Formats: sequence, structure tokens, C-alpha cells
Amino acid sequence: MKITFPHMGNVYFAAKALFDDLGVEYVIPPLTSKGSLEIGSLHSGEEICLPFKIMIGNYMQAIEQGADTVLITGSCGPCRFGEYCELQMNLLNNLGHNLDFIVIDSPGDIGVKELIRRLGKISTGSEYNRLQKFKALLNAVKVVNLIDEVEAKARYLAGFEANRGQCKKILIECKQEAIKCNSGKSMIEILNHYLDKLNQVPIDQRKEPIKIAIIGEIYTVIEPFSNLYIEDKLMDYGISTKRMLTPSWWLKNLVLSPMNMNQLDIKKKSKEYLPMMIGGHARECIGEAVLAYEEGFDGAIQIFPMGCMPEIVSKAILPKISKDKDFPIMTLVVDEMTGEAGYVTRIEAFVDLLERRKDNVLSRC
Amino acid sequence: MYYLGVDVGSVSTDLVLLNQNKQVVEKLYLRTKGKPIAAVQEGFRMLKNKYGNSEILAAGTTGSGRQIASTLIGADAVKNEITAHAVAALDTDGDVRTIIEIGGQDSKIIVLKNGIVTDFAMNTVCAAGTGSFLDRQAERLEIPIEAFGDYALKANSYVRIAGRCAVFAESDMIHKQQLGYNEGEIIRGLCHALVRNYLNNVAKGKEIKDKIFFQGGVAANKGMKAAFEESLGIQVVIPEHYNMMGAIGAAIIAKEKVEKAGKTNFKGFDLADSVFQSKSFECEGCSNGCEVVNIQENENVIGCFGDRCGKWGSKLAM
Repeated sequence: MKITFPHMGNVYFAAKALFDDLGVEYVIPPLTSKGSLEIGSLHSGEEICLPFKIMIGNYMQAIEQGADTVLITGSCGPCRFGEYCELQMNLLNNLGHNLDFIVIDSPGDIGVKELIRRLGKISTGSEYNRLQKFKALLNAVKVVNLIDEVEAKARYLAGFEANRGQCKKILIECKQEAIKCNSGKSMIEILNHYLDKLNQVPIDQRKEPIKIAIIGEIYTVIEPFSNLYIEDKLMDYGISTKRMLTPSWWLKNLVLSPMNMNQLDIKKKSKEYLPMMIGGHARECIGEAVLAYEEGFDGAIQIFPMGCMPEIVSKAILPKISKDKDFPIMTLVVDEMTGEAGYVTRIEAFVDLLERRKDNVLSRC
Repeated sequence: MYYLGVDVGSVSTDLVLLNQNKQVVEKLYLRTKGKPIAAVQEGFRMLKNKYGNSEILAAGTTGSGRQIASTLIGADAVKNEITAHAVAALDTDGDVRTIIEIGGQDSKIIVLKNGIVTDFAMNTVCAAGTGSFLDRQAERLEIPIEAFGDYALKANSYVRIAGRCAVFAESDMIHKQQLGYNEGEIIRGLCHALVRNYLNNVAKGKEIKDKIFFQGGVAANKGMKAAFEESLGIQVVIPEHYNMMGAIGAAIIAKEKVEKAGKTNFKGFDLADSVFQSKSFECEGCSNGCEVVNIQENENVIGCFGDRCGKWGSKLAM
């Protein structure tokens, strides 16, 4: 058994730590690139959403390296993502690749017993005892929390750093070093080391950077290729960004959801505009927009793949929030295009808008 | 003494020279034809004999080709089209509240309040609701796009044509043609389809308030102006230099920037005679596999774009 998995932001760090510690064979697909998208869209239905196509690209590139088992997460929520695993299994089958799929789903939907059985399947190739396997899982969870923390910190501090570009450099270096590690333990050490480094980045106290919240559909906000590296771009402009949806957030949400203890703040904040779950992460999107306003952010950018039903609903609600709270929100729809000029124009214009608003407000003080 | 503005768009490349009172003294409207470098060079060739390099106090670029144009000419300001259009409109008339801008590949709405941009939107993933839609249909009807407006105004009524996307519209239009509607009515219908698409897509949820400026290449089409006025019930103003607004904005922004910085980076008109070459390659430094474009002037590298890590290109000015 040789396991692979689709990319989604920093997930591959945790996956590497997990598989290394379990001692199972695995393939990390090459980081998502135009190549993966090209392969993915060649084999996928034309009307399916962008994440599906990219994921197929990831699988195909991993299959080239000998992968025979796919580990993905499922969802029984009312959004196309819930069908991904079945559709992808069929699609790969039709292409002559008979892969085994391990679908990790919420215990609320498949039951704790089934979840444990599926988790157990991952480690069938492992020679370690249950305690060691449990430790491997714990380390992987630590890794995903840490890498998301490093990333969030670097993105936020980018607006305040005294030496422009320092945070980005640390973040890039951190990822390069972390992926070289061969065990969860050493990866955790590296990540902690870089977290310390970020804590020591010289801060310019006089700076009042533009702060933007990244909201929207979970895959396209997390996977940088799909949103044309929007966070890197904003970092270059010296803008602080915050994104609530991360792999670690997802994990926490998954664990807490059976007890209904998940995302209490989001539920509270979104209540006025969208009081129910309509699928995908539409409610999160609305809640995050309100939260971003209350936390003093200057604006928010919503990103979603073309045709994403839940986010189309939230897109229709956002102008109301924007008007009620005088809080600029811009929507970006992503699809197969990789020409960046149009996106850069919109992002720059949005930043201009926020800057001029800020100046105006200050001049009135 | 002049300020140069260059707007490299998908369809046209516009160059303007403003005098010190921000009046347009020279304007060039050239077709980009997918070759932004050649278009800028062509414009410079026309300006070279009339103006000296030292007469240019500042240069600014905008449009989707603004980065490459900036590298080429040594721009003082590189600004996105939205800000550039807003700046130019506000300079023409400080009371503007709404700007409708329809170009070749994109359309935008800009909402202004107290002289600043408060909201804007652009078309999303496709070119529906833009000039290329009309261009395409003009081609099909074998009527020059310049004459489109006159045809529309001559018609007393219009046929309803689906405006969602150019492909839908085309089949709908063919059906109507086969039923025997005349060209004028169909063309007027196309204008209405485009306006409907614009209002339902780009301008959805935006407040359109008087005074409205209609700019961009499509504003040349009288049928479009009439269709907007009919749908909105408000008079739509087309500024004198409607198809140059981006370039004018870029020149004004450059002027402000140079007044602060004190000197210009403008490289001069001589680049009209240089030989430019662009080469692209896939960087193999890491698994990102960035597509890097390398621009050379007389075999000297003057700019690199497309890499994420900054290994090839320098940080681009905003």
C-alpha cells in the first residue's frame, strides 16, 4: 500500500509527519501547479468545480509515482464536495486506475466506530504498536496546528514588520526546512524554531497597515495555487491578512461538531444574516465577514470557485453586511484561468480603495 | 512640459500627453493586437519626432499590460485601471458618482462618494457584458463596429436577445434573423442585451446615482448610451476623451508621484528603435514550476515576470 492525498494548503506537512511516524509508504504529490490543473481538467467533467479538477491532477501525478491508495476527507453536507470521493473513484476507475479510497468523515455522519476503522486502515502497513500509532497521530495534529500558526503569524506580521519582506522570507524558509524532516518530532522542533523567529521579527510600531480578512470557500482560500497566491501578493504589498479557515480549524471543527460545540462565535455572528447551515462554508463566510468588521479589519475578500452554490448564496448576502457596517467586501471568483493580470487589477484597486478610505477617515479626526 | 500616460489594454493601447494644466494635447489610439510591446513602440515612434525626451516630466502606465509597459518606458507610476479611470473622471468632473466603464475584455462599475472610490466591481470570469461581445456580433452581421450605434438608433423597436453569454446570444440572434427581423432592430436588441447583462451582473447590488459617466471604448456606440439611458432613466454623460480615460488617469497619477519624488524615471522615446524580445521558460528551482517571462531590450534583460519567489524578477512597484 502506497498512500497519497490531494493537496490543500499545509496539509502535506502533517501528512508527511504522520506517515513517517507510522512507517507506511506514501507519495506526496508535487505541489499543485499549472501542470496538475492541466491533467485534472483533461479528465474531469467540464462543469465540475475547480477543487475537483486540481485534486484529480494531484492524484494522477501521485499515481505516476506509484500511489495506490488515496486518503481524503469526506463531507455529507449539501455541497458537491460530498460527492467528490464517489465521483473521483469512478473517474479514476474509468481511466484504469483501481485505487483504494480511505474517506475520513465526520463522526456525526459515519459514527465513531466507522471512523476508527477507517483511521486504522491508514496504518495497516505499519509495524508499530497502537501506542506508537496514537503518538504519530498526535504529532501530526501538533504539526498541522503549528504550521498554521506559523503561517497566520507571518501573514499578519507582514504589515508591521520593520524590514519589508522578512516575514515572507521566514515563512518560505520554514516550509523548505520543515518538509525535509523525517519524523513528526523533528518537524515540530523546526516549526517551533521558526515560530520563535517570527516572534522576534522587529516590528515598526508606527505602522498602521491595511488589514484584510480572507473569507469564502474553504478549499480555494486554503490552497494557494487555486487563489493565485493571493496571500503572498498581499504580503508583498505590506498588508496584514487573516484567514480563519485552515486545515487545523477544519480538524478542530470536525472533532467538536458531534457535541455541537464547534464555531460558537461564527454561529452567533452570522445569526442576523444567515441563521442556518446551507452547506459548504457559507455560514462561516458570513460570520467571518462580521467578525472581521468587529475586529477592526479594513475590508474582506471573498474567494470561491465558479459555480459554488453555498458561496453564491453568501455572495448575495455580503453586500447587505457591507452596507450595514460600511465595510468593503470584494468577491473574487476563481476558475481554470491562470492569467493573473485581471486578479491583480482587482486586488490592487481594492487595496487602493481601502487606503483612500483610511486616509479620509484619518483626515476627519 | 508634458505628462505621459500609457494604457495598454486588451484591445487598444492608448497614449496621451497632458500639459501642465492637465489638458490633453496629444492622444493616440492604437490597436494592441496581442503585442503590447510593439504597440507601445509604435506610439513612441509617432511621438518621437514631435517631442523631446526632456519635455516629459512624468510617465504613468495602466491597463492589463501596465507592468510590461512600465518596464519598457520607465514609468513613475503603475496603477490599476480602476483607480486610473476614477482619477481621470474626477479630474474631468468632481461631481461624478458612478462610472460605467466597458472595454474590450472587461467591464467595471465604480461608485464614488466625496471624491473617493467607495465601491467597485468588475465582470467575473468571462467576457460576457463587454465590448468583445458586440465586436463578435458585428463581425457576424458584417457591419463595421463603428457603424453599430447608428443602426441601433435608426430602429424604432428592438428584439429581445438573450444576453447571458456571447454563445447564447449568438444562437438567439441567428434565430431572430431567420424570422426576418431587420438589422437595426437586432442591433438595438444586442445593445439592450449587453446593458441588461451589465446591470444584472457587474452592477448587481450597486447603487447607480447621478451623475453617471460612461467611458471606455464601447462608449463610442451611441446605441449603448441610449440603451443605458432607457434602462436607468437617468442621463448618461460621455466625457470628451471617453476612450482615453485610463491613460489620462495614469498621467495624472504619475504627475502627482513625480511632484513628490522630484524626478522621473522615464527612459525616453528612443525605445521606439530598440529590439525587444521576450522569452518564457519554466523555472525548475522548485515544484512551483513558475512560468517566467524574460524581456530583453537589445539583448539586455530589462525585466522578468511570473516568478513567485523573486528569484528572477525584482519586486514590482505598486
